[in-house]
Amino acid sequence: MHPHPAAPKTTRANMLRRAIVGSGAVAAGAVVGAGIPDESFSDPSPAQDARILNFALQLEYLQARFYAEALRSAGLTGELHEFARVAGAHERAHVAFLEKHLGRRAKTAPPLRFGEAIRDPHRFAAAAVTLEDLAVAAYNGQGTNLTRPALAAAVEILSVEARHAAWVRDLVGKLPATRAQDPLWSATKATHKLMQTGFVEA
Amino acid sequence: MNERPSILDGLDPEGRVRESLLETLGIGRTELLLAALAGAATWTAGHASHAAGAGLTENDTRILRFDLQLEYLQATMYTQALRLGHLRPAVRDAARVVGAHEWAHAHALKTILGRRAVPPGFFDYHGVTEDEHAFLRPAVAFEDLTAALLKYQAIRLDSRAVLAAAISLHSVEARHAAWLRRIAGVLPTLTAFDRPASQAKMRDLILSTHFVAEDPTTGARRAPGFTG
Repeated sequence: MHPHPAAPKTTRANMLRRAIVGSGAVAAGAVVGAGIPDESFSDPSPAQDARILNFALQLEYLQARFYAEALRSAGLTGELHEFARVAGAHERAHVAFLEKHLGRRAKTAPPLRFGEAIRDPHRFAAAAVTLEDLAVAAYNGQGTNLTRPALAAAVEILSVEARHAAWVRDLVGKLPATRAQDPLWSATKATHKLMQTGFVEA
Repeated sequence: MNERPSILDGLDPEGRVRESLLETLGIGRTELLLAALAGAATWTAGHASHAAGAGLTENDTRILRFDLQLEYLQATMYTQALRLGHLRPAVRDAARVVGAHEWAHAHALKTILGRRAVPPGFFDYHGVTEDEHAFLRPAVAFEDLTAALLKYQAIRLDSRAVLAAAISLHSVEARHAAWLRRIAGVLPTLTAFDRPASQAKMRDLILSTHFVAEDPTTGARRAPGFTG
């Protein structure tokens, strides 16, 4: 109806989606955001819940592994160590919850590689900020696509991710909350941002 | 038609929210959201306040009205603490940012409600905004409980457009809670799962603080501070 200056973004997003999901750039088993409708307000259904929660599970696997490995090798001390310990335990609890909820439908973890982010406290903190903010935006974006029971579970997890994000941001001297409304990312965008971290092996 | 004023114009004069919506939701979704919100508020140029709120269900209206009053209560508390309190720089920064967010939330809710919006109540903070320690306690309690309340309400909202808006506020309230908890010297998180809390629980907290004056004259005792 009214042409929008940002219209090309959709095209670019679609191309990215094809590049990331469709072209086999990612091993079939590790396609993180596959099968999630990019248009929001697609009618919620239990089958769609499972796809979205599997996407969430991939994020939780990644975070849980990230904190576990960083605690072993990043030389964390003081409050940053405490943050990694507390957040890591939460992510493990989220993994357990989602695995139980999904049962046999739960997908396995993608192959992960954290590189320098788990070998240095500063890089660890920067990566933690990225991952926690990413999780918040990704969960937020799927809120309206979930059935009410799944939404009830997702919001209990997602505000904990928001707390982690605020905590680690404050720790590294960033504003814990930069805007009045957090973004709602599409599955495509969340997947793209996730692949950009380089932590998911292609 | 081309430049149809959207619900975001008042809320977001600099276009930051719109930009982030476009960036994050993609064009199709943003249009849907704006159209749905515009439908909810029947937002048309020049007639904004006229028919606004007409499309909301009774249920959503009740929920949003409660939230609007809650945002006013919190926003005013931060504004007053900044004005009256002797805050450390870290606390002042947080109060400034969090307070601005709560005002933005109030404005967003007011815009969605349109004619059904409730005016700000009369608040009396009984001196807690004059003292940093006294101020942090209720600030943390309100942020924690607002995040919990929005979870309770999320699954009870009829409109998915309103739900999208509520979701985008919810995680910000959780961020505020964690931020203020850290400043107050307590763990920013509670457990691995943040539980919901009902409106009745929030009402209990509000009553326990006595921050809402029964009528204006109660607050007037402390004038001119109470208007924030």
